Amino acid sequence: MKKSRYHLRFALNGEEKSLDIEPGISALELIRDILDLKGTKEGCGMGECGACTIIVDGKAINACLMFAAQLDGRTVLTVEGLGRDEELHPIQQSFIEHHAVQCGFCTPGFLMSAHALLEENPKPERNEIVKAISGNLCRCTGYQNIITGIEDAAERCCRSQKISKK
Amino acid sequence: MFDVDYIRPQDLEEALDFLSEHGPDTTILAGGTDVMIDARSGVLQGKYLLDVSRLSAMHDIEVRENELAIGAAVTINELNASETIGRYAPALQKATHRFASRQVRNIATIGGNVAHCSPCGDTIPPLLIHDAAAVVVTPRGRRVVTIEEIAGGPYHCTLKPDELITHFILKPKPDDVEFSDFQKIGRRKELAISRMSMAAMAGQAGDKSISFIRFALGSCTPTPSRFREIEEMLLGRKPDEMLLWNAGRLLSKRMLDITGRRLSAVYKEPAIQGLFVRMMYPLTR
Repeated sequence: MKKSRYHLRFALNGEEKSLDIEPGISALELIRDILDLKGTKEGCGMGECGACTIIVDGKAINACLMFAAQLDGRTVLTVEGLGRDEELHPIQQSFIEHHAVQCGFCTPGFLMSAHALLEENPKPERNEIVKAISGNLCRCTGYQNIITGIEDAAERCCRSQKISKK
Repeated sequence: MFDVDYIRPQDLEEALDFLSEHGPDTTILAGGTDVMIDARSGVLQGKYLLDVSRLSAMHDIEVRENELAIGAAVTINELNASETIGRYAPALQKATHRFASRQVRNIATIGGNVAHCSPCGDTIPPLLIHDAAAVVVTPRGRRVVTIEEIAGGPYHCTLKPDELITHFILKPKPDDVEFSDFQKIGRRKELAISRMSMAAMAGQAGDKSISFIRFALGSCTPTPSRFREIEEMLLGRKPDEMLLWNAGRLLSKRMLDITGRRLSAVYKEPAIQGLFVRMMYPLTR
């Protein structure tokens, strides 16, 4: 049986995308292999490590567990959309300063989970941070620096919002 | 990449028309978190993915005429955040707190969790204690199937290929029932498939005797189930530690009657007793 291609339209990192895809590919394959954005990682392919976390319509999702076609009409953010080389996002800056990155493989996933949390809850308690990142595994850091990094990021984001409002 | 076509119907009628023609070759897709796992392990049979996640007919949470209706496409996180669920099905809400991970909770659905018929589905014991049933529609009409009837065995869904669950009907927690809980043991606090899970609701009379009780066990038997013998043992009695331990021992015995004495029995037998007593202990105060 000849499959038909699927026409996908969605917003990615602020840009409208419109392309034909094989319907049976995952969102992770779309992002990494077709759109060539390598920031999002495949750690397990089974939704158990969070390395592939992206943000879809404001919600943190495992890209390995979604079919690309499910992104149709959605707004998607990957780590590439979080900051730029010249100007890191406060969360990224905070991760660096708090040594929350060692091998870096899990980092994009954590950044996405953190960003989704702070968008929804700009002043999270520590236990709320821990809960929000419980779907992301790190084999290097022991998590404490990541949590502190996110706590500090919350303050930075809060401060920068106040500055931009003045 | 998997060899499937993706179809997203605009409304329920379109979905049912598609199922009437292609049912046996179709996998229903809502959140997709279980579908993708099945696809990766080669278990996925169908040629088509029918995405029902955006059908408006399947997204409501409402109480009407003393029934709590939950749309099959409601996500686990939506259940977690819903005041209606917190009030009328608190055990179900508790089951969502540690379900998989936040990323999975954001798209996984109650319909998918039930229809997947995993022995460890965390929404199932709470649905059982609420006497829940699924409203199942086909092009031929609609029927109501109890949660107990949906699973014929582990990962075996008894629904026919052209049938679609649109929503679940639960008996709401009675207002005078103050105790309702869900407990699970997993290898971790999150991202952990339940090794055992339990849901219970209980009401007590003025003298503390149990006037109302519902109990269900998950992850320990081929399909989660109500244990009416435990309920009967507790009904009308004033709960103390001794009674709870006796009920816990009976529960573990009945579980082993069903599963046989496996290697895991060394762990599960005392653990199930302990979890039961821990969960029900507030009734003794």
